[in-house]
Amino acid sequence: MARFKNFYINKKNTGLLKILGGAVVFLLLLFILNSFVSPIKNLFYAVSYPIQKTFWTAGISSTSFFGSVWSSGSLSKENDNLKNENQKLLAQVATLQSIAQANKAQSDVSESCQDTEFILLMVGVVGLDANDMLSINKGSSDGITEGMPVINQQKVIFGRVYRVYKNFSQVMLISNKDSVINVQVQLPATFAEDSDEPKEIDGIVRGKGGLSAYLDLIPISSDIKDSDVLITSSIENSFPKDLLVGTIMNIQKDDQKSFQESSVNLFMDLKTADNLFVITNYKN
Amino acid sequence: MWKKYLIIVILFYFFALLQNSFLAHFNILGTAPNLVFIFFCILVFFENYPKNTPNFYRTIFFAITAGLFLDISSHSYLGICVVVLLIIGFSFKKIQVLLRNMEDNYPLIYFLSLFSVFFITYQFLLSVIGFDFRFLVELIYNLAIATIGFSVFKRLLNVQKVQN
Repeated sequence: MARFKNFYINKKNTGLLKILGGAVVFLLLLFILNSFVSPIKNLFYAVSYPIQKTFWTAGISSTSFFGSVWSSGSLSKENDNLKNENQKLLAQVATLQSIAQANKAQSDVSESCQDTEFILLMVGVVGLDANDMLSINKGSSDGITEGMPVINQQKVIFGRVYRVYKNFSQVMLISNKDSVINVQVQLPATFAEDSDEPKEIDGIVRGKGGLSAYLDLIPISSDIKDSDVLITSSIENSFPKDLLVGTIMNIQKDDQKSFQESSVNLFMDLKTADNLFVITNYKN
Repeated sequence: MWKKYLIIVILFYFFALLQNSFLAHFNILGTAPNLVFIFFCILVFFENYPKNTPNFYRTIFFAITAGLFLDISSHSYLGICVVVLLIIGFSFKKIQVLLRNMEDNYPLIYFLSLFSVFFITYQFLLSVIGFDFRFLVELIYNLAIATIGFSVFKRLLNVQKVQN
């Protein structure tokens, strides 16, 4: 108390009071600004959309130009075509396997909540921030809500809608550090139905940031190999079943641990991500 | 004078758009240069050039402008980057004042070492990524872009100095 009694206003204290006053006003201003965060961000994106879209498209063109220079002409394009073709075939395999399994009685319950007929809304990609958040050009006014899955035309999963504004939305990519999705290893085409091996190998794919992810929680006894394809499973229900995720690489198996890990070569590719699709009728 | 500040605001806006759209395609191991942060550091570094009289009001202006553009173009709350850049800006100025002698001619190595320290601080405060190999790549990538920015900016200031 005595300290406060002796606190009189001199030049030094005035400076201190100014700093404190400034800090309080600043924090108050930030608090008020955050009450209007949605319209502010929406306005920013609405104004910036034409420029940002131009930059994004220019980025795609530039990378494919430099890519083709590196890979001597048409090699890059051919590779992209093959990749697309491969993804289409993998999607078909996944669908066929799903149909076969759907005939089994024990999978009827889980299958009943899966919609195979998706209603898709095409969206344009306009930006990507450092936290693996993609900006798309459609928002609540187009019927987008939080949690909707985002895929491309080859049924490759990109992520889910994280925040929705009036005219744009932010999509959390599956490589985001907070992203966790349930996956299963796709059965090989030659898999025998009467085999003793377990039919499904389930695990999770966690985002690592920097457009990369890793596979976790695969039981140590499970036999997985490099290049095995990962697809979404229906355990968690936040994504539809059988969407393509990526392939397994660099398996790390330690017998002292219960689970094995591996890197995931994600199918999602920003070079081809000019337009994506939001599944608007999938409810988790 | 106001034209200079207007140009700075426009440049911050331009860099914010550029780093989230165009440069996202030029990522190395998923890391892209943070142009807004680089430009902020260059501005703070040269803020009192050629006189050695730091003006903290300008640092506040740079931090608020750069921070708001970073916050708006990310998914975080408004103000987080502003606060982080204010801390970095003031520390940058304080260390600069403590270390530099009056005859100093703003060497690149001096800027790069300060930039590295504050880039690490920035990433740590925002907890964007962990201190792993990818972070090293990100730092080197940003240092390369910062070196180019530094050289361009210093040349511009020297031309301005000769004209005055």
